[in-house]
Amino acid sequence: MSTMNQLLIALFAVVLAPAVGALLQGIDRRINARMQSRVGPPLLQPVYDVLKLLGKEGVILNRTQVLYAWIHLAFLMLATVLLVLGQDMIMALLVVAVSTIALILGGMCVRSPYSRIGSSREIMQMLSYEPILVLLVIGIFMTNGSFMARDITLAGKPLLLTLPLIFLAFLLVTAIKLKKSPFDLATSHHGHQEIVKGITIEYAGPYLAILEVAHWYETALVFLVLAAFWATNWVVGIALAIIAFVIEILFDNLCARLTYQWMLVHMWTVGLGLSVTNLIWLYWK
Amino acid sequence: MVTWLLLLLIAGPILFGFGILLAPTREVRVGLTLVAAGVTAAAALYLSRWGPAYGGIFVPSHALPILLDWLMIAAVIAIGWTSRNTPVLIMGVVQACIGLVLEFHPRAPQAMPQPEFVFDQLSLMLVLITSVVGALVLVYAIGYMDRHEHHGPHSQASQGQFFFFLTAFLGAMNGLVLANDLRWLSAFWEATTLCSFFLIGHDRTPEANQSARRAIIINVFGGMILQTGWLISVLNGSGDSLIAFNQAQALIPVAFLVVAALTKSAQLPFQSWLLGAMLAPTPVSALLHSSTMVNAGVYLVMRMAPGFGGTRLATVIAMAGAFTFMAASALAVGQSNGKKVLAYSTIANLGLIITCAGMSTPLGYAAAFLLIVFHAITKGLLFICMGTIEQAIGSRDIEDMHGLMNKMPFTTVIAIVGMIAMLMPPFGVLLGKWIAIESAVHLPVVMLLVIIGSALTVVFWAKWLGRIVTVSYHQKYVMEDLPPVMSGSMLTLGVATLLSGFLAYPLFENFIKPLARVLYPLSSRTDASWKMLEMTESFMTWPIYALAILLVGSLLLTLMAVDENRLRKPFLCGENIADSALTYEFRSIMDRGEVAMMRSYYFSSIFGEENVSAWANPMAVALILSLFGVIAI
Repeated sequence: MSTMNQLLIALFAVVLAPAVGALLQGIDRRINARMQSRVGPPLLQPVYDVLKLLGKEGVILNRTQVLYAWIHLAFLMLATVLLVLGQDMIMALLVVAVSTIALILGGMCVRSPYSRIGSSREIMQMLSYEPILVLLVIGIFMTNGSFMARDITLAGKPLLLTLPLIFLAFLLVTAIKLKKSPFDLATSHHGHQEIVKGITIEYAGPYLAILEVAHWYETALVFLVLAAFWATNWVVGIALAIIAFVIEILFDNLCARLTYQWMLVHMWTVGLGLSVTNLIWLYWK
Repeated sequence: MVTWLLLLLIAGPILFGFGILLAPTREVRVGLTLVAAGVTAAAALYLSRWGPAYGGIFVPSHALPILLDWLMIAAVIAIGWTSRNTPVLIMGVVQACIGLVLEFHPRAPQAMPQPEFVFDQLSLMLVLITSVVGALVLVYAIGYMDRHEHHGPHSQASQGQFFFFLTAFLGAMNGLVLANDLRWLSAFWEATTLCSFFLIGHDRTPEANQSARRAIIINVFGGMILQTGWLISVLNGSGDSLIAFNQAQALIPVAFLVVAALTKSAQLPFQSWLLGAMLAPTPVSALLHSSTMVNAGVYLVMRMAPGFGGTRLATVIAMAGAFTFMAASALAVGQSNGKKVLAYSTIANLGLIITCAGMSTPLGYAAAFLLIVFHAITKGLLFICMGTIEQAIGSRDIEDMHGLMNKMPFTTVIAIVGMIAMLMPPFGVLLGKWIAIESAVHLPVVMLLVIIGSALTVVFWAKWLGRIVTVSYHQKYVMEDLPPVMSGSMLTLGVATLLSGFLAYPLFENFIKPLARVLYPLSSRTDASWKMLEMTESFMTWPIYALAILLVGSLLLTLMAVDENRLRKPFLCGENIADSALTYEFRSIMDRGEVAMMRSYYFSSIFGEENVSAWANPMAVALILSLFGVIAI
């Protein structure tokens, strides 16, 4: 691949990913509404929301707040580019982690106790899912013999068949990443939680729009990873990802928010346990 | 020329140290300290011109190192006697007995003459770290100690004595990383122990004496283990040379030397002395206990790594390191004392370096090298920032650093740079963690420990960063008043840290990889680790640099775009009190003013020192015992 080609692909991914993410969120809201016997908003409602936010006055608490929002977005874009160009997956993970740290600092740089609670919970969420994500990449390495995202189909068979338990663990991570109950601790889509917008509470107008766009990227990334579990045939892969999304939405409606201690304990026992068990199979092979 | 420069780097600081000790006035002492720092740093930087030159240096005299050895043993015994420290006294006597045997036992004739000193990329890099970071801390200490003399305890020893040990230490450390003959190595090893003992005890308060006592017990124990390993190698006929061990794969002496290294690098279960050492004035913590002396241990493991590659010993060493990395990171999560967080983070990072070096694969070795360089620079920086903060706010508690940006913006910004360098790409520490995880993939237990440890490190850095980045609206910055020696060395180290982020990749490609190629012979190139090392060439770096440029651009744009009139107070679920000095005060029930504050989570019931040590120390002891188990069976 020439540098020019790489740049074009990178550019394409940077434009396409938020579009996919926005569409997925639109579908998400529709399905959610149907589950609650509502009609639900138009499919492009997430886009309308962001356009409206962009038109508002940007009110902030201090100057650095905006910077963290930009870093959050920029590193998610970088992670998208790294994955699409088939680069090292551990590196991509670390880049996503940096983007989350930027979000945490954005919540902590202001003197609001609510956003600080949100940030503290976001740290606990990171602690809960980060090891599982690394183990996912290790599982992929054990299957393909490569850390590179471009070698995802190297083994010639779908990852789901070698990593079934890690897939289950990743569904838990997906719930955290998509801010679904019972793990919507730091910030939530639902109005009935005890702290609704925690980590983003002090962001408004165009600056909140930056975070919303960043969440589109995040949603698209999660979708991409879910689909990669059947990367030998992307049609099946996308179907798999859609099924996983519907399961997440179902659980979002079934569960109430739980405490961060509960999350931490269960992610480290159930989630990590599933991943480690799956890895033991692979090491024993 | 190289030989003379090396002589200057070892003997120079020690001689300057004597000058400083005898200096009649403060002006002479400060002048001599500045000259010593300048000469050492300049000599090391000039020496780097001969970077690729690999070679041994022969010193004809054996009498001089033996004399130094006996001097050190005598000093240890004297300390044990005068301070009524029985363990040290006993271990000193044991060392003397081992020394006597070593003196008179005939050496088996060696096939090749072994050099007394070795100058290669590894020792060059450690000399650079010691001399340059060390010189900057030395300069910083001038300002710090003047303030310390005012505010510190009245029982403290003289500044002349303090600077003597601090300066002489640089020479001893340079000697340690260059020495190949165990006579020299053991002399310099004990010399660093003694410097550390006197510097920790500098304040002469009961706590300082207690900490110094613990430090010397553990480090003299390490020295005794080192001498035991040396004795075994002499009795086995493996000789006195470190590089000969690697060629002969003499695993038994290597195992003893590794345990000695674990004590020096404060790995579990020997960590208590480093925690106690945090009572010492901060330049001591910055120089000895984060960026240089503790490097002696990991240096020794790295020096011997090519020799034990592929053995079961390698796996156990990697496991011990990874266990320390995980446990020390967990301990750091539970601490709100900033200096202790830094200390545990140091122990954790040294553990990670031992993990990488212990695996003894080309990729692991490269990761260890990268970590040793970047950790030394960054941790030196963070410690001197911590010292400055502590002197200003009179507390080490992270929760007390709320709103630090208003009081001392210069120090805070530099501390933020240091923490970001510990946590984020493209800085070396994160790159090291990344390579460590990938090269540990064939040792599942080690890998799992490294992954868990990495997740825990993010927690304590994020908490601390979140505390010091807090700024209020309508920020009023009051520039702190620091003597130029302090602000100058902080600024230099801060800029060096920032630059090193962009130099990590070139350093890895042009310096570390060629070294790994030399150390690991051609025969092993077929294995997976070599493939992974070569594959790093196909990583694209342009996205990282492009993004860095984008980031700086967006930073400037946002800062310019923000309008003063759009700044608001935080939402507090109640009316903000308009004229309050605290922006987080609100009207609560009955119009009472209430302050809304939120502490970070520390989980002291899970990650507290007693809780973690209770299971971590026995596990660590078991790991060290299995270190000997795998070579015995």
